[in-house]
Amino acid sequence: MASVTDVRRQDVLTVGREPGERVEIAGTGLGLRAVNAQLRGTSPNGPIRIRDVAGLSGLAAGLEQGELLVDGHAGDYLAALNDGATVRVLGDVGRYLADNMTRGTVMVAGNAGYGAAPYCYGGCVVIDGDAGDFTAVMNKGATVIVGGDAGDDVATYMLAGEVIIAGDAGENLGNYLIRGNIYVGGEWKSLGHNTKLEAMTPDDVSKLERLFKEYGIDAEPSGFRKVGPLSVKPFYKSKSPAEADSQSRRT
Amino acid sequence: MPPVNGTFCVTVMKDRCINAKMPGKCATCVEVCPYDVYALDERGHVRVQNYNACVGCRICAEFCPEDAIRINPAESEFVVRSPWTFPQVEEIHQKAQSGQYALRGFGAMGFVPSFDNVTVVPSQIASPAPRDKYREECDMSVVIGEDSCEQPIYLKYPLFFAAMSFGALSREARMALAIGAAQTGIMSNTGEGGLLKDETWLIDGYENEARTLRRWQPGGSLIVQWSTGRWGVSAGYVRAGDGVEIKIGQGAKPGMGGHLLGAKVTPEIAAVRGIPVGSDALSPCRYYDVQNPDDMKHMVGLLRDVTEYQVPILFKLGPSRPYEDVKACVEAGADAISIDGLVGGTGASPAVVTQGVGIPTLALIPPAVRALKEMGVHHKVKLFILGGMRSGLDAFKAIALGADGVGFGAAAEIAMGCRACMACHTGRCPYGITSQDPELRARLEPVEAGRRLANFVEATAEEIKILTMLSGHASVSELGEEDLRAMDVNTAAITGLKLVGYERRLPWWAGREDELNVA
Repeated sequence: MASVTDVRRQDVLTVGREPGERVEIAGTGLGLRAVNAQLRGTSPNGPIRIRDVAGLSGLAAGLEQGELLVDGHAGDYLAALNDGATVRVLGDVGRYLADNMTRGTVMVAGNAGYGAAPYCYGGCVVIDGDAGDFTAVMNKGATVIVGGDAGDDVATYMLAGEVIIAGDAGENLGNYLIRGNIYVGGEWKSLGHNTKLEAMTPDDVSKLERLFKEYGIDAEPSGFRKVGPLSVKPFYKSKSPAEADSQSRRT
Repeated sequence: MPPVNGTFCVTVMKDRCINAKMPGKCATCVEVCPYDVYALDERGHVRVQNYNACVGCRICAEFCPEDAIRINPAESEFVVRSPWTFPQVEEIHQKAQSGQYALRGFGAMGFVPSFDNVTVVPSQIASPAPRDKYREECDMSVVIGEDSCEQPIYLKYPLFFAAMSFGALSREARMALAIGAAQTGIMSNTGEGGLLKDETWLIDGYENEARTLRRWQPGGSLIVQWSTGRWGVSAGYVRAGDGVEIKIGQGAKPGMGGHLLGAKVTPEIAAVRGIPVGSDALSPCRYYDVQNPDDMKHMVGLLRDVTEYQVPILFKLGPSRPYEDVKACVEAGADAISIDGLVGGTGASPAVVTQGVGIPTLALIPPAVRALKEMGVHHKVKLFILGGMRSGLDAFKAIALGADGVGFGAAAEIAMGCRACMACHTGRCPYGITSQDPELRARLEPVEAGRRLANFVEATAEEIKILTMLSGHASVSELGEEDLRAMDVNTAAITGLKLVGYERRLPWWAGREDELNVA
């Protein structure tokens, strides 16, 4: 069990910083508590740069403000419970990126592992590379953009928000989608339950153009397709005979 | 559709009934009944139009100005017609008609191995002398997280209010729980419906958000729940509690997530949970951000970090494999573990799951204690038991078996006025406890309900005190299995307690005293 006495004196750096001074943290030999305490405790003008943190789970959890640049790869649960910070990663990230984020922005130049952006209520997650299975599961209002391909079960049980995949998606896309929109620039292997194709509107195209410009995504919005929910109450509601199950609509 | 049909006889005594003597003069039963059991015809006569719809809430009997109504259980069909009782027959009819399985509230009903088959052993001459309940002190306090965080939770009594979400419960009921906990120094739990802002100051005993009017002492503790649905969860939510509880499961529907049907997702609840109005809030059955035990350890680590190592982390389990599950929670870093047994209740669950899935509460304790003792953390990692706990007697027995405290869910609702009609999922609770209908909610006054809850807790604590002291102890921490006896072979087999008359454990428990709560 963690103990209040576990933190060693040398873990907690006392840094005297001038306003505007660049802050850099080397994560080597530091535990999560020491690193995150520094991230919460500093308020510099400009981003904090951190490296050698690929082995840390929970880096930058629960931040409410500030900017963080991860020079290299990051581990699991990066920016979990993010509530307002901007986090950029120059490499890849592990699993559960931006878990349960409510505000802020998280941008990954590389790839993200399993379960990126789960349970998010708000904010924006941008993954330039590929994302794993169960990306954006139970999304409740965030914007999740994948510049490459995404795995299976993306946007499972999404209740609100936007999921945009510039490349291909895997099986069960949008499984039991309740509300929100999924945009795909490439192909998908199969659609999940309770989904249907919807026509792209001019507003959809404008929205994608704006987001791609803002986050530097190289994709053409007019070639995207849109997936929406078939029913907002697919579970405890009796089906009418004429109401088809989207499972049969495989593309 | 009521949860179970035809289980009550509705009788109106015509010699008392105002309407029978003067048609049109009184129709109170018609007005208060939410299930249209009664009807008023054009001539002003009241009649019972559908006794099958009666759920036994007795609101009509309570409001009848002449006490003319009786609601009684139907004949004992378990004797006459089992297994084809009338409720079973009607359930099959409903499935045949609708193609849907039954949902209901509350927990498993009927006879399961229970604490009723365990008796308390008083102190006499061959044991430490009994203590005087009226003139001597008894320590009933429990501390959670004393070795792991900056602000452990101090419970005045080994009792708490179980997790019941805002959504499953009304706003008024959630407020009452906070007020009741504040008056008794125990803890309340948000459940997985998000945090009702009022609870954050009510739990500390303040009447107002500005915290200038302190009305209730000594103040309680608020646990925020982290669940598979993450309804209303944010960094602020996690930091708002005096502890964070990771919910793995619950007694009424282990292996499934929480159910809040769309009919109860009002604009207020939708705002707290962060979901669209009218959406079914069906929590997933598992965590999508935990794939193995190491992930769970990391999740505990990040919750400790986000709360800046100030508050304890608790786990809540459903009744599955208590030995293995408790060990896994300890390895993940739990400061306390609650296990909710088969009889544990809920606001809505498939009836087959509520009735037929899980382990009886009594049978959860010995394997959980064995796990904690093997890991050397018994009474350090606190063990709490829930699921059908009704009184200080149940609590004493659970503690003597090795728990550190017990939680009240259904009993807390009943203390607020519930009559256990099991229709919570309909949102038509006539007592305003599990309803979101403003008219029904208006029947529940939070301060009064909080007072009733506090009364129940104080009375229950006194019961624990009586039993603790008559068995020769000055503290609940001294209780052990020697303070109990099993009253039948089944219970002796399940619990490892000595059997009355035989005065020894059953043979397969001999030599395994180190697995039991031997004081």
